[in-house]
Amino acid sequence: MILAVCGKGGVGKTTISAVAAAALRRRAGVRVLVVDGDPAGGLGMALSVEAKKTLNDVRVEVIDEVKAGERSKRGLAQAMDYRLAEAIIENGNLAFLSIGRPDDVGCYCRVNSFLKMAIESLAGGFDMTVIDAEAGIEQVNRDVMATVDYILLVSDTSAKGVRVAETIRDVAKRMVGGDGAGLVINRVRDEGEVESIRRSTSLDVIGWIPEDDSIRRYDENMTSFFDLPECPARISIENALKATGLL
Amino acid sequence: MGLFDEQVAAVERFLAEERSAGNVREFRAGSRPAWPSEQSLVLEDDTAIELGNPRIASLSSLVWSEGPVEDGRISLVGPDVSEMDERGVPFAQVVIAGGKFTDVYESYRDVREAIYDTVLEGFMVRTMPSRQSIWCRISREAVSGGFSLEDLGDALIWNLKTVEPVTGAEVLFVTSSVADVERLAPAASGARRVIEALMKMYEEKNFDCETCEYRDVCDEVMDLKKIRERLADQKAGAGP
Ligand SMILES: Nc1ncnc2c1ncn2[C@@H]1O[C@H](COP(=O)(O)OP(=O)(O)OP(=O)(O)O)[C@@H](O)[C@H]1O
Ligand SMILES: [Mg+2]
Repeated sequence: MILAVCGKGGVGKTTISAVAAAALRRRAGVRVLVVDGDPAGGLGMALSVEAKKTLNDVRVEVIDEVKAGERSKRGLAQAMDYRLAEAIIENGNLAFLSIGRPDDVGCYCRVNSFLKMAIESLAGGFDMTVIDAEAGIEQVNRDVMATVDYILLVSDTSAKGVRVAETIRDVAKRMVGGDGAGLVINRVRDEGEVESIRRSTSLDVIGWIPEDDSIRRYDENMTSFFDLPECPARISIENALKATGLL
Repeated sequence: MGLFDEQVAAVERFLAEERSAGNVREFRAGSRPAWPSEQSLVLEDDTAIELGNPRIASLSSLVWSEGPVEDGRISLVGPDVSEMDERGVPFAQVVIAGGKFTDVYESYRDVREAIYDTVLEGFMVRTMPSRQSIWCRISREAVSGGFSLEDLGDALIWNLKTVEPVTGAEVLFVTSSVADVERLAPAASGARRVIEALMKMYEEKNFDCETCEYRDVCDEVMDLKKIRERLADQKAGAGP
């Protein structure tokens, strides 16, 4: 199963992805691929893994391979797999890949379409893939979303956040592999807010997460989410993830 | 003279030297049941043995010969999987295909793909064509199930022989030391240069030898020269 966590900037995508990664890390025998799809690289920080090499580096290296005369699809696929293996950081049953930031304009092959190829080539070997997507709809293009089975939409309690989630769902609807999409509402202080969002949106609200100080503390102290205790937010996130089929 | 004659000869010299020092073990393809074929992802955590990690030493080469090859021979210099006492092991894999390769360009692709198609359960391979590198992980499960380089050689030879012009194939593995792997490097990079020259001819259809960076390779290898002349004639014949 490939799940992408999407939503407006700052609503909690990385927090949820990190809790998902940590929960899956505890499930021995389940092979998990975790993709930090945000060029800013927040998920790596949340999990305290540092990518020495990113997907963008792999992309550049594969372009070099083309320049060096390799033209066959199979040859390039081999080169890509080799470089991906160098870029992946492993931790137990978990493999981590960071998309990185493209710094050249020579977009022979845009990073997002490269991300699709990488996911297609890699995800088959894993039982679960979690993608912490870039904010907004940039990655919600045909390329990446065609590989995704479930879009976990995240919003805070603001109307703007919910609207962005709806837009993402609409753009993604025609592309997502499965028909899975659900909304989680994050940083809830008053349960009444969840009820009013439920009434106002056509999205399927699959859960809500309370405002929780331990999340903020973990973020501020840069402690790895692998060690996050069972706080209220973690419990609600895990429950929402159960509703998606990831856990 | 064939495309890879020089490289095939170099590999044979290596084998002869090692054989006279008593360092070569030989297996015959087809002498044990085939190892299950399956694309495998082997995570670090499940890895018992890693062959050809780029930080240690790694080499992969494919050559062919139009003369006779020792069909079905799998030669091993160094420990086999069950005898390896370290997790990271230097690794070379040299494949020699035998046959009549009339369409060299197509044949090379087909033979190379036969190698890529060789997938085995509990065995993960990553190859980097331009660097002649190969990087493999063998899972704990495969090791305890008795996986041997004989199984890999066997599968490679089997797959190679499904390619039309291939009539025989042999494989050499080296796991003894970084230095031994590196002894094969000149042959591997020589073979790579031949292939690059060939690709360039076919894909760029540029036959201006004065500016071509592979001129030295063409001058060395008679077959390349002939191919080039034939292609250049075709191009001229095709008219403006
Ligand atoms: N339930 C929560 N309780 C308290 N703080 C939270 C909660 N969820 C997220 N936060 C905090 O909100 C901030 C933004 O969260 P996060 O980085 O997960 O969002 P994001 O959607 O990934 O942002 P960006 O779009 O910038 O990548 C962080 O400081 C995080 O600690
Ligand atoms: Mg983020």
